[in-house]
Amino acid sequence: MTAQAQLRKGATYQLQRGYRLMMVPALLAVAIFAIVPLAGMFALSFSDYHLIRGTNWEFGFHNFAKMLADKRLMNSIYVMAALSVLGVAAQVLIGSAVAVGLQKITGRWRVGRILFLLPYAVPHVAVALIWLSLFTPTLSPINAFFDVFGITVPAMLTSQWGAIFAIVVADTWTNFPFAMLIIMAALQGISPDLEEAAAIDGASRIRTFIHITLPLLAPALLMVTLFRFIDSLKHFPMIFVMTKGGPGRSTQATNFYAYVQTFQSSNVAYGAAIAVMLFLMAALISFYVAKLNQRVTS
Amino acid sequence: MIDNSRQFHNRRRFGLAMMITLLVFAALPTVWVLVLSFRAPVAIFEPIWESPTALTLQNFYKITRSDFPAALLNSFITAGLSTTFAMLVGVPAGFALAKARLSGKFIASWVLLLLRMAPPVGFVIPLFLLYANSGLIDTYLGLVFAYMTLTLPLVTWSMWNSFAQVPDELIEAAIMDDASLAKAFFLIALPAARPGAVAAAILAFLVAWNDFFYALIITRSGTTTAPVAVMNFISYDSVDWASIAVASIALTLPILPLMALANRYIVQSLSGAVKG
Amino acid sequence: MKHLLSTALAASIALSTPFATTSVHAADEINVLMFGMPFTNGLRDLADDFEAETGIKANIDVVGQDVFESRIALSFTGGTGDIDVVHTPVIQVQRWIQAGWLQPLTDQVSEETTSDILAGPLGAYTVDGEQWALPFFAGVGLMSYRKDLLEAAGAEVPETWEDMLSVAEKITTKDQAAIAMRAAPGQGFNMFIFPMVMRAYGGTFFTDYEGGDFTPSINSPENLEALNVYVKLINDYGPAGAGNFNFAEVNAAAQNGQIAFAVEGTGIISQIVDPANSRFADVTGIALPPGGPAGRSPAIGVHGMGIPASATNSDAAAQFIEWAVSAETVSKIALAQSFPDFTTASVADNPEVVAKYASIHPDFLSTRVAALDLAIGHYRPLIPEWPTLGQAIGESVNAAINGLISPEEALEQAEADMRDILGQ
Repeated sequence: MTAQAQLRKGATYQLQRGYRLMMVPALLAVAIFAIVPLAGMFALSFSDYHLIRGTNWEFGFHNFAKMLADKRLMNSIYVMAALSVLGVAAQVLIGSAVAVGLQKITGRWRVGRILFLLPYAVPHVAVALIWLSLFTPTLSPINAFFDVFGITVPAMLTSQWGAIFAIVVADTWTNFPFAMLIIMAALQGISPDLEEAAAIDGASRIRTFIHITLPLLAPALLMVTLFRFIDSLKHFPMIFVMTKGGPGRSTQATNFYAYVQTFQSSNVAYGAAIAVMLFLMAALISFYVAKLNQRVTS
Repeated sequence: MIDNSRQFHNRRRFGLAMMITLLVFAALPTVWVLVLSFRAPVAIFEPIWESPTALTLQNFYKITRSDFPAALLNSFITAGLSTTFAMLVGVPAGFALAKARLSGKFIASWVLLLLRMAPPVGFVIPLFLLYANSGLIDTYLGLVFAYMTLTLPLVTWSMWNSFAQVPDELIEAAIMDDASLAKAFFLIALPAARPGAVAAAILAFLVAWNDFFYALIITRSGTTTAPVAVMNFISYDSVDWASIAVASIALTLPILPLMALANRYIVQSLSGAVKG
Repeated sequence: MKHLLSTALAASIALSTPFATTSVHAADEINVLMFGMPFTNGLRDLADDFEAETGIKANIDVVGQDVFESRIALSFTGGTGDIDVVHTPVIQVQRWIQAGWLQPLTDQVSEETTSDILAGPLGAYTVDGEQWALPFFAGVGLMSYRKDLLEAAGAEVPETWEDMLSVAEKITTKDQAAIAMRAAPGQGFNMFIFPMVMRAYGGTFFTDYEGGDFTPSINSPENLEALNVYVKLINDYGPAGAGNFNFAEVNAAAQNGQIAFAVEGTGIISQIVDPANSRFADVTGIALPPGGPAGRSPAIGVHGMGIPASATNSDAAAQFIEWAVSAETVSKIALAQSFPDFTTASVADNPEVVAKYASIHPDFLSTRVAALDLAIGHYRPLIPEWPTLGQAIGESVNAAINGLISPEEALEQAEADMRDILGQ
């Protein structure tokens, strides 16, 4: 008994050691290539590193103190919130609608789903350039088309909400397929029997959807929303290419504002402090996502 | 009953109309890029119906003579290598995280997610200084390592989820039968998690292929990737829209077959992750 | 803790210096970083000529302007030494000198080379008695106008911005806009154009630039008048979307006949009047940009080539710059590309070059020279903070155009930003 138990214990020990060995390369890679720049970012955020003004290597909380009184930062958070909320809502709505619609399409028309997936395959820089051309009145076929009927389409990139709308449209175009994929996956997991049973019981389709389908989709919807929300904190190519933060400063989202501070105003330390703030926000949300995901992984 | 069927038809019609609208939204930019890529330079600012014959292949020819093809190759090399390395390192790690008895698993999953999601704007200066020290600026290796900060957490995290779906008993039984851990991993766990692995590899490739920011900062002429090279068509006093359109097509085409082949796998693997 | 952080960070940055030459290249090889414009594209095509002449291989990298700016900021900071010759816009030169990013090339270029370069652009790169770069490009503000539309409206070519307002009103109809100008925010975008209006009304950026008094004066009555004119012209007499136009949209609007006037740099104007590009070229004339009560001040933008402080091969780099601005090289580029903006004086004596640009438009070269004579060197202030200042002012001006804030508020905001940036 004891010998055998000891043997098994030894085997378990070996097994666990095996598992740990499998993790070593990943740990090393993460340590070198992620932790080092991360530590650098935190160090810089407490420094006074400025490319032009000169640097005394004095450390303190001055950058964070400055953030509290920075109106442009407040504006950037407001812009970021608008872009994130509108974009994520549009992506989840359109993604769900297409997913539900595609479920009904069977047979050879199924290949048509590639048309809906295609925007997801276009790199963001190209997405931004394509939509920039569509929002440029002198070039855009949309403007030309409505001109034929004597309708002048207003220029989007010249007003704050127009520019935000333009970025949201571009962002939605390329990212709704992600929401669509996840929701399609979740729909596959829902047994059609449930919906049928409800229909036989005389429930209307809308009621069926609200009371049966939606609750079953809820985890997927939440997951999509959170994922897209965190991703939207790092909006960069769309703003960089489409508006450069304009008109005025009205589309300088926080991530872009950190870039402006670092590269245009040469205030690397302050840019890093803003990046730290964004990092902490991402940390908060990903904590929540990890909690949600715990059920799956354990 | 009659009412019911009319309602049914109305709903169908509404659904169809909605799908068509969304299809137009999804497809319009694609059609537009195709048109733009064939437009003769003199007619680029005219609506297509005013000069429908002003089409040319010149734009495609022109781009083959620019720096763009080399940049496309760089994108392939760096996205491909970073995906390969991330898979080599991340798949075993995901397996171990899913099956090992460990404390602190929650922290690990949080850190992985956070690394995948943190905005890179704060990383680039420290990363740049690190690279300047070690001569990694404008090297494939440097860019591959930078991309691994994106791809490795993604692969590890999603493989962890995929391996979690593989019943523990399967692995335990194999090990009871005197199989080594490596054997159990390669012969039992990996085949069972294949859809997840394919999906992870494709998503990782996409993330690296898509990157603009890292490439902007740590590449020079030698390793410029395609997303950065596209920006070179915007010059001091003109924007070369036709070349931008051709370049956008060239950037998307390689991804398209991947997406078509893989959307089944992606749905399969995601459905595991989102089951409540 | 504080000490640890500072040591670690200082060490990591100090370390980058000894390793700076990791990207070693052979002594007979140099790296040139430029951003895309006709001259630089033409230069890239001639790289083999340079190698044939000198045996030095020049890797000329021509990138987009946005890419360029992100790259140099870090290359210079990290001191990676991977750039031997760098595109040096005149508005950046003071900032780069202050940051210690450039090395002077006073002793490295010959009198023979510098004496053939237009004095104004050359002087813009002379700071503290040292020459920091050699210019290859001087673009000035010009105006193109549609003769047919002016005739139909019974109007003359406007001499002042005041005239422009009344002429524009006559021309503008539902289907015909009068004018387009850069409005997109940026020190090289709307802040390339708007100071023409400002200076015409006597507005300035600082209380006394030449006397060294750098108290911001952007919030002055003169500037407000100018901003009102600029905003009115763009909003009331411009095409749809004019509030965010950049050079590309202005160019397009002129070429498809949407507008009667374009006030732009030489590079764009030369495309607008070129029959090869525009169907309206034969009815388009060229004039000086409008002036005002305080005279006429055409925009000027100068670009040159300098040597980064961290360059590893500065002798070869200087040799390259001298070759690039030589009459022979510049003439070749002026003939191969659309490049009338040269700063090498003797190129204007080259009969082929003169013939080429005269055939595009007979008045082009002469109007350009007239505008260059009127342009003041510090059209945009030549101080290290200018790029940041110009960006901030440009954002406010653009916000006023698009009605996000009133012109009064825009100038107040610009003045507050200026004080903030200057640390006053």
